Amino acid sequence: MPGTIRSVSLVWVVLLVCLSSRRTSVGAAPICTNGQVGCHVLSLDNLFDRVIQHSARMHGISSDLHSEFEQYFLPSKNQIGRLGRICHTSTIITPNGKENAQRMAREQLTEVILKLLIAWRDPLWHFHQSMAHHHDFNNFSSNKALEMNDMVHELRQGVEKVAEKMQVLGIISNSVTSLASPEVLLPSDSADWRLMKDYDLLYCFRRDSNKVQNYLKILKCRIVPDHGC
Amino acid sequence: MGCGAMMKSVMEVLLLLMLFFTAHAKEKSYSPPEKPTQTRCRSPEKETFTCWWEPGSDGGLPTTYALYYCKENSETVYECPDYHTAGENSCFFNKNDTSIWVNYNISVVATNALGRAFSDPVDIDVVYIVEPNPPEKLTVAVMEDKGWPFLLVSWEPPHKADTRSGWITLIYELRVRLEEEEDWEMHHAGQQKMFNIFSLRSGGKYLVEVRCKPDHGFWSEWSSTSYVKVPDYFHREKSMWILVAVFSAFIFLILTWLLHMNSHSLKHCILPPVPGPKIKGFDKQLLKNGNSDEIFSALVVPNFPPASTSKYEEMLVEYLEVYVLEEQELMLEESKDLLDGCLKSENSRSDSDSGRGSCDSHTLLMDKCGETKEEERQTNRESSLIETQGWKEEAINHDTSGRVKTWPSVYSPLPQYGSNPLDKQSSLETAKQHSLSTSSFLTQAGTKDALGPSYTDFCFSNKQNHLHPQTLAHRELQTRSDVNISNIGRKRSPATEYVEVQRVNKEDMVLLQPVVSRCGHIEGCPNLPKGEDYSKVKGVDCDNRLLLQREGTGEDVCPLVDQETNGEGGNCYTSSTVSTTQKPTACMYTSMPLQEETALTLNGYVDTATMSNLPSC
Repeated sequence: MPGTIRSVSLVWVVLLVCLSSRRTSVGAAPICTNGQVGCHVLSLDNLFDRVIQHSARMHGISSDLHSEFEQYFLPSKNQIGRLGRICHTSTIITPNGKENAQRMAREQLTEVILKLLIAWRDPLWHFHQSMAHHHDFNNFSSNKALEMNDMVHELRQGVEKVAEKMQVLGIISNSVTSLASPEVLLPSDSADWRLMKDYDLLYCFRRDSNKVQNYLKILKCRIVPDHGC
Repeated sequence: MGCGAMMKSVMEVLLLLMLFFTAHAKEKSYSPPEKPTQTRCRSPEKETFTCWWEPGSDGGLPTTYALYYCKENSETVYECPDYHTAGENSCFFNKNDTSIWVNYNISVVATNALGRAFSDPVDIDVVYIVEPNPPEKLTVAVMEDKGWPFLLVSWEPPHKADTRSGWITLIYELRVRLEEEEDWEMHHAGQQKMFNIFSLRSGGKYLVEVRCKPDHGFWSEWSSTSYVKVPDYFHREKSMWILVAVFSAFIFLILTWLLHMNSHSLKHCILPPVPGPKIKGFDKQLLKNGNSDEIFSALVVPNFPPASTSKYEEMLVEYLEVYVLEEQELMLEESKDLLDGCLKSENSRSDSDSGRGSCDSHTLLMDKCGETKEEERQTNRESSLIETQGWKEEAINHDTSGRVKTWPSVYSPLPQYGSNPLDKQSSLETAKQHSLSTSSFLTQAGTKDALGPSYTDFCFSNKQNHLHPQTLAHRELQTRSDVNISNIGRKRSPATEYVEVQRVNKEDMVLLQPVVSRCGHIEGCPNLPKGEDYSKVKGVDCDNRLLLQREGTGEDVCPLVDQETNGEGGNCYTSSTVSTTQKPTACMYTSMPLQEETALTLNGYVDTATMSNLPSC
């Protein structure tokens, strides 16, 4: 009896392995990066969808963290303090409306996106570090900060890939300077963000992540419009 | 200075001016206006937005309201560009005045002649106050899918929301209910603009509504209701249900029939029958029929109790076996010598609780004694032999084919000895159930005049015909048994005691005279007087017991085996219940009354074997 059970389970395991391998073989080829052979080429549409989903998740996490901060660490009602808040990314010129965004060229829009993502790389890292050291926050918030940090990094890579793809396809010209030298994009007074308090930092990042998500959507619906647009 | 401070200073200046101009106003109980309340700000498409406020009391004076705002990180205070588009107590911001991802600080001021009141400032970002219009052009159609209908619901986003350029992303939700019901059925549709609803009730009327929400914003209002009626497919449903019912009934019938067929085995499975007692040969049916005789006859195992008299023989006290024939006599004598051997052999043949102390069967005697016959012939028992022979001769002369057997051997057939007396007497015919063969012997002796004086002295009555010879035999047996017993316990002693009937007095007492008086050695009869070696029958008591008495000593005789003479005209119990002071071990007690039924044997011998509770000597 145990022998038959073992054999049956073995057969099932083999079957499952075969099925899963078959599935992965269909869609599990690596995404081509640079002219590789035997890799699965993702369409621009697919790339855009992935990036947009990623940015949506990033914005969701930032919103959650911001509301947590607002709940537990009520900001002072001091209007002076509030009005004095300036996000360190305010130097980056971003379209503030639909017309402005639609009027902007694709390359510019792509560049704005990349600038924003690059600008937030260091502040989020330090924010995560400060949260880990401050025992005022629970582990949930600390994990979210870490996740946010990682997502910015991944999103930037994804958007770079999209830009490269678009350049390859000839959709946009090769004038996206952010791809060439990202460090140029950093604001000159990059140390401003260290003066920001955590709450303001979260407030600024929440807005910027929303900007990124929206710009990506506009870009996608302009370049590869589908039923979702 | 920030935006708010600027606004405040401006307001104060204005107020002073107003107060100055309204200084000569009527004297009333007027008061400055109450602080207005900003209720909400909403943007339908993330391009424009509207703010509403709730005015407080106006204080009796005409009050004006103004909305001032300033943008993030800017000192400029702006006033609401449009107070009318959105209705009363509202401010509409058009596209040019609306900046997304910019923090607005808005305040409402209520002003009357006496004063003004500032509302609480509100910070808004247009991105987070989007509340779209409800979806438009909701259509519902009834479609068919393999004979079953479903609803195809489709709609369009609100015309103001620009989802086509990706500026706004909307997700939709719709709800359905039957006209007669109250609970709505919610369906989440995601970003798609059409939806299918299944599981419809035939002939039902449905209401459908849809609403939408941006990914970060508020739900819109429900769209206008759309009505739809599902056509009847009742007959199809009914026929299906009829089929289902018939099929299930059929299956149910089959199941019940199967159960009924196998009810018995099922019952055995679920409720196993309690095992009843099993008695071999016991038939329950007979018991139910109520015929107890048959039942118990069935229970009776044939040949049980064993017809053989071996058990009885084992149980009973020994009786001496006196063989009438010479050969027998010799064997008897020999048996004395062979007592130990015979007894031992007999004992070996008998079971452990045998009460016998002597050789039981004549056959044994013959076998054993015969074996040792030659050995023992030259023993110094010739005197006894002679004596016994003499006595025996008398017996033989008188056709003493009767014999006194030892008790156990009473049941063993004596082929050559048992026949003669049996022939003579009808009552004594069957030899199996014998108590004393001496009865026949004695009776025979009695009937013949040729009996010696020892026999003529017998006083026989019909009863006593059996009794006395029996007593004689008993006595002889007794003595013999005594001898046997004593010999068992001790070394073989050549002592044997024979008694001969001396006479029978008129009191029906058999006076016996021992031929060889060895009572002195014998435990069994310690008190035999030298002068008179006999015992006489004291009498027969009420229980038909023969009471023997030892003369001279007055002491009692060794008790004799009880007998019962059944077929000879009564039940006589010869009991040895004479009070004896003798050691019971030496004597054989046969003091139990026998039962009548088992008494008579075929050959007329009294069945003394039915006595029970014989103590072993």
